[in-house]
Formats: sequence, structure tokens, C-alpha cells
Amino acid sequence: MSVVQNVVGATGSTADTSPFRGNMVSQALRRVDDNVLIREAQRGNRAAFEELVRQYDHAVLRLALRLTASEQDAQDIYQEAFLKAYRNLVSFRFECSFYTWIYRIVTNLCLDHLRKKNVRKEDAPVTTMQDGTELSLLDQVADDRAHSNPERDLMRRELGHKIGIALNRLTARERMVFELKHYQGLKLRTIGEMLNTTEETAKNTLFRATQKLRGALAEMRE
Amino acid sequence: MNCELFKQNVILLVYEELADDMLFEMRQHAGRCAACHQELESAQQFRSDVSAIPMVEPAPNLLAASRLRLQEALETAEQHHGWRAWVFDPVDWLRQLRFSPALAAVILIVGFAGGVLTAFRVSHPATIDPGTIDSPAEASIAGIRGITQDPSTNTIQISYDKLQQASTRGSIDNPDIEKLLLYAAHAQQNPGVRVESVSILSRKCHDTQIRETMMRALLDDRNPGVRLQALDGLEEYVKEDIQVRNAVIQALLNDSNPGVRTEAIRLLQPVKADSMVRSAFERLARQDNNEYIRSESERTLNSLPPID
Ligand SMILES: [Zn+2]
Repeated sequence: MSVVQNVVGATGSTADTSPFRGNMVSQALRRVDDNVLIREAQRGNRAAFEELVRQYDHAVLRLALRLTASEQDAQDIYQEAFLKAYRNLVSFRFECSFYTWIYRIVTNLCLDHLRKKNVRKEDAPVTTMQDGTELSLLDQVADDRAHSNPERDLMRRELGHKIGIALNRLTARERMVFELKHYQGLKLRTIGEMLNTTEETAKNTLFRATQKLRGALAEMRE
Repeated sequence: MNCELFKQNVILLVYEELADDMLFEMRQHAGRCAACHQELESAQQFRSDVSAIPMVEPAPNLLAASRLRLQEALETAEQHHGWRAWVFDPVDWLRQLRFSPALAAVILIVGFAGGVLTAFRVSHPATIDPGTIDSPAEASIAGIRGITQDPSTNTIQISYDKLQQASTRGSIDNPDIEKLLLYAAHAQQNPGVRVESVSILSRKCHDTQIRETMMRALLDDRNPGVRLQALDGLEEYVKEDIQVRNAVIQALLNDSNPGVRTEAIRLLQPVKADSMVRSAFERLARQDNNEYIRSESERTLNSLPPID
């Protein structure tokens, strides 16, 4: 057994699911830190819980924002997820990382949201700002690259538009798996864990999602 | 490997999800089969195309607003149990403080000498009943928790936190002193206070909670003086405590201060044969920017027997 496994094993789990880059040692130490905070929060220490929130909420909000394409909805999911986590923290048994646990809650809420929201399927992904104005993801693409080659920008913009449409055509589950894999860079094993399914099923869902996306992009290229 | 299997797995290859043996077989196949080579290129193109939509980072004020809203909701979520009658319990208080930078911001440690610690503490919630309580000095109010009005009596009730100065005196074995020192080791404001408390605590690293605090200080404190003090306290546990060893390796690899890293090299000498320590030195000898660290790592490696 390696040194790292020793450290992780001592804290209850060997699943490597941290979103943070860096080596295994720092991940193990982070896990130790998290566990201290979780135990405190389980005892009713709200400050400890808020500290946990601060470690993960950026990633949570980002995921919700991407999947809902609405600041308002993303904020609602953020709120509901952490409140749920707070209320159910006693049931956290240190079998997985807190990151996996909180993402499981968030992905469930997002899946519900995606299933309900079957409108705008043909639209480009648009982010609704809190003041009601709409900000297209594509505007952001252009903004990011304001100083580069305009012709290439235009192509990127167009491609982004097509991808947005294609993503919206996926089923909620396909969209989720693709999102977690491509944009969040998670391992399929972790994705399976988060979605309460097997790695094999996550693999198959990713395969279907990419088949559809590749098909849609090829179709639009013609 | 056949073309059908290749097609089924090409996305896993592109997203780095394949086991080494499978990866090898697929690369071999793509080298021989033009159609699958084409398929691989198309899948790679797909991944880069999709990356054309960058990750949208949530706006900082969206994050801030979300946190605020959550904090408010958490407060009512806790009100189900009701506020416990507030009695000054230093242990509970410190536990709260240890994890609350927001609270810590209103706690100013103002003096520290010879085992005497002077601090402001936050007491909460206090209640003003107009007419019955002397008016609180504005400067001592840390925050207003809530205001309620009783229309029938015109009484206004305000719950607020206030700052109070307090001091404690005792030996290092006094639990209250220890708790305050542990808190001081995390305090944000004054690096002098942190150095002092870490230095006193470093004598008691046999206590696992203190050792944990030392590791945190070593890895998280912004002041190199504090980190050096923490290393000092951890020195004799590098051999027996694997977490300490890992923390020191971490400091060696990532600390921004060459002095801290040099000290970490010294601490790791007795355990240099450990595989993790060895691989850290190998990495540094190969690619570290600091010439001294490189050569010291090299020297340490050369003093080790070769792996057979
Ligand atoms: Zn082939």
C-alpha cells in the first residue's frame, strides 16, 4: 500500500474525486481538512459548514450556470443544494468525498431542471442575467477573443452557436454526463458515482452523447 | 483490435479514459488502418471544436450574492432549534472562531506577551430593551442580527453582537490558553502573533490537534516566519507521522520561500529512502528553478543506495 493510500485510507475512503489539480498528497490533506470541517458542521457548527461551502460553491455555481444558462436558476439550484446538504449532513458517512456528495445533490437538481425545461430547444444557449437582460454564451466567446483574428472569431462564433444547439438537443442525462466529462474534466468513475450509476453506464451515455453531437455538428457543417 | 471496437472506444481515448494496454492496442491499430486513423482525428477535432465554448465563470457578484442569500437561509434553518441561551463557553466559542474568517475579522488580538493574551471577544446575541438598558457604545457593536417590533406595546427589540475586551493568563498547559493559542495561530491579521503562538505551540506537538494546526500553518500561512516555526515543531514527527511527512514534502515542493524549502530538505533527510520522498527529490533534481534546491536534491539522491 502506498503512502498516499495510507493517508486517504485513514480518513475513510480511497475514491479520488477532488476537482482540484495538484498531486495526491495535497488531495489527501484536503480530504483530512474537509473531514474536520464536516464533523464540526455535523455537530451544528454553522461556521464550519460555511467554510465547506466556500471551498466548493464556485464549482457548484459554475456547473449550475452552464446547465441552466440562467443566473437566476443557477442561484436557486445553488441555494437549494447547500440547504439540502446542511439539513442532511448528519447522513454524510464519509464513504465518498464531500465534493462527490455535494455534486450528487447538485446534479440531481440540475437534471430535474433540465427535464422540466424542454423549451428553447432550438435556441442558442443564452444566459439570463439578473436584471433580465440576456447574455448569449456566444457573446462571451467573442468577448474573450476580442483581440484576435476577426475572421477566426466569426467562425468560432458560428461553431459555438451550433454546439449550443446540439447540446440543447441531448437528453438531460446525456447533457449532464457530457458536461461533467468535457467541461468539468471529471473521470467517468466519479461521474458514475455522482449520478448513482456505474462507470459502464456513464461510459455508454458519454458515447451516445458524443455520437449525437458529432452527428449534429457534421450535419450543420454541410 | 478491430475497426468496430476502435470506433466504440475512440471517444474514451480522446478523453483519456483508456487503460494503458487498450490505449497501446488502439494506437497500433490507428497506425495500420487508415479509416480508424481518420476516425481518431475526427474525434480529436470534435473535442477541440466543443471547446470553442469556454467555461463561463460565474460573475464574482453572483457568487457573493448567492453566499449572502444562503447565509441568511442558514440562519433561519438553525432557528428551528432556537438560539441556545448564550453563556460564555470558551471552548465552543473558539470552535466557532476557528472556522469563521468572517467572525475572526471582528476579533482583534491586540496584545500578546509572556503567556498573557488579550483579545476582544464577540458575544451574541445581546438584546436591547429601550429604556431598560444603557445605550451601547457604537464602536462596540459588531453587527445587528435582527430587529423586531411589537405593535401593541411599541417595543422594539434589537439583537446585536458586541465586542468585548477580555484577557486570560495561565501556563501553556492551561486548556484555555491552549485554545487561545490555537486560535491565534490561525488569526489573519498579525503575523507577529502567529509566529509567537506557533512557536509556543511547537513545544507541544505530541498533541495531535496541535500537530494538525502546525501542518495547516506550514501549508497555509502566508508568512514564511510562521511556516519555519511550524517546520521546527514538526521536525521530530517526520519519521513517525505520515501526515507530517506528507505536509513537509508538500512544503518542499510548493513553498514559495527558498528558506522554508531548504529547511524541509533538512527535515526529510532521515526519511529520504521513503518512496514518496525519493520521488519528490527526483522531481526537484530534474526540474526545479532554484539551483540550490536542485543540487541539494541531487546530492540527497546520490547518497541513497540505488533501487534494485
Ligand atoms: Zn480500423
